[in-house]
Amino acid sequence: MSKPKVGIFGLTSCAGDQLVILNCEDQLMELANAVDIRDWEMAKSQNDEECPLDIALVEGSVAQVRDIETVKKIRERSKILVALGTCAVWGGIPAMKNDVPREVMLEEVYGNDVRFIESKAAQPLSSFVKVDFNLPGCPIEKEEFLQMMASFLHGDIPEILNFSVCSECKMKENVCQIVYKNQVCCGPLTRAGCGARCPSHNVPCTGCHGPIEEVHYDSHIKMFQLKGIKPEEIVHKMQVYAAPAWMPEKLMEEMQHEGE
Amino acid sequence: MKVSKLPKANVNKFLESLQDFGEVIIPKEKQEQPGVYMFDTMTDPSEVAWEYLRTIIPPKKYLTKPKEVIFKFDSQRGFEEVIEDAEQKRVLFGLHPCDIHGIKILDVVFTHQYTDPYYTRRRNNTVIIGLSCIPDEKCFCKSMHTDYTEDGFDLALSDIGDGYLVAIGTSLGDDLVAERADLFTEVEETDRRKYLDFRKKRNQSFKLDLDIDDLPYILDLEQHSPIWDELGKRCLTCGSCSMVCPTCYCFNVYDELNLDARSGRRIKQWDACLFKDYALVAGGHNFREDRAERVKNRYYHKQFRMVEQYGKPSCVGCGRCINACPAGIDVVEVLTKVREGSYAETESS
Repeated sequence: MSKPKVGIFGLTSCAGDQLVILNCEDQLMELANAVDIRDWEMAKSQNDEECPLDIALVEGSVAQVRDIETVKKIRERSKILVALGTCAVWGGIPAMKNDVPREVMLEEVYGNDVRFIESKAAQPLSSFVKVDFNLPGCPIEKEEFLQMMASFLHGDIPEILNFSVCSECKMKENVCQIVYKNQVCCGPLTRAGCGARCPSHNVPCTGCHGPIEEVHYDSHIKMFQLKGIKPEEIVHKMQVYAAPAWMPEKLMEEMQHEGE
Repeated sequence: MKVSKLPKANVNKFLESLQDFGEVIIPKEKQEQPGVYMFDTMTDPSEVAWEYLRTIIPPKKYLTKPKEVIFKFDSQRGFEEVIEDAEQKRVLFGLHPCDIHGIKILDVVFTHQYTDPYYTRRRNNTVIIGLSCIPDEKCFCKSMHTDYTEDGFDLALSDIGDGYLVAIGTSLGDDLVAERADLFTEVEETDRRKYLDFRKKRNQSFKLDLDIDDLPYILDLEQHSPIWDELGKRCLTCGSCSMVCPTCYCFNVYDELNLDARSGRRIKQWDACLFKDYALVAGGHNFREDRAERVKNRYYHKQFRMVEQYGKPSCVGCGRCINACPAGIDVVEVLTKVREGSYAETESS
């Protein structure tokens, strides 16, 4: 059987997810033997930018106009397209301030004269192309990435955990940030896979994996309100990594409704 | 039942002697959060948190692990069974009656009709030593009839002030005492009186009460109570209650593959009926798609179907789920409301 042809790409992002792949040091040779990496700008000097691909791994959000064309072109040449990391899956940190007009932000960051990027509101890949598999994480988890690749190589559809961080946090026997510390912890809303890394270091979950499939906004609003935490505080925290998914307007609406 | 006495001055020596049997697991206070406890390996007897009430996770974690490899496979060489800790001898020390009852229920599930080799191997290598306790406002073991136990332990210690009355539950427990007979003394009449005083004090300390008389019948009548929908709206289905429950035993089985795509490991991991994928089957059908149905299922499994199947509920009143729920859902409150609702309906009809 011929090795699957793989391309690894980055749209607007910090390249952290591609770095995780490079950091799979113990498995990197095995991975390089199992697949044929044809196109990976970050790690290879000679790339085939046109060839058809079996698997495309795409990091980053669509936050520049040119990203739209890039991701469409990748889609056209790939059998399987994977959204790699929270930016690609949910919009990520670049989508945190989508409510502020881009011109305002550009001016604030780069000043009056500089115009070298065509910035746009950050969106996940799925807003533009069909995504076959989502692997969230900021950055992605090494183990989850390797399991995903092994499943593809075996001809399976990969699976990721479909429950929240709380269960992993309990398995670690951490002190609950919500119950004992009255913190705004995104654990109950956030997809597991990290092994409750932050609460294990006594820091409330920041929601970097994005939401679980079935987010219970109503329950969360009630829960935090009963603890005397302001709705704005909750929304603010939820918007950091996956703002488009948290639907801030709808969330605020629900909160006001609950508060009445 | 044979009873002996262990003076407090000799307790540490006895704990040290238990290390000859195997790894000794004790309740310890979490350093970063005073008042929060977990079971962990003893390195020194001074670490025992004698006054602890409940740990975050019950001792089930030593018998059915949160995540374990159950076998390794290779498409060319077949498979090789793995039982983690199969030869590890352990003493679970300081278990309160509720947790001993929890293990008794797990024993029924994992060793009776269908034997789980992973659980059974570890269980057979485990010594259980109980410890008496004084309940707090979240304990309702008395209501669940799990506040005392006559079996399910090798030894059980009851605090009588200057020492512990030690009930010997098994011949292995008897051996452990005989091995260090020099540390134990005869039980005197005053000790018996102190024990009765302790029992009286403990019985009077319960603040939480749940009426479980005919509860399965009431639950059967209340299948369509609006309470289940209300609960469905409050519950985050985060699964915390299941993880911390001494009798929640559900697990998921899945494979982790190696990059050669022909070898890997089969994994057994704690699961919870509150998770959306729990009742998801091939073809995409989900038997409990709705959140309220999943929450309700948890109550019915423990208080209704377990009674039908095994003659008693699988709740031991330890209060861990009350403590762990971020949304503040309280099992006693819920079941009390269900009963009240049922009575109200009867009166109005």
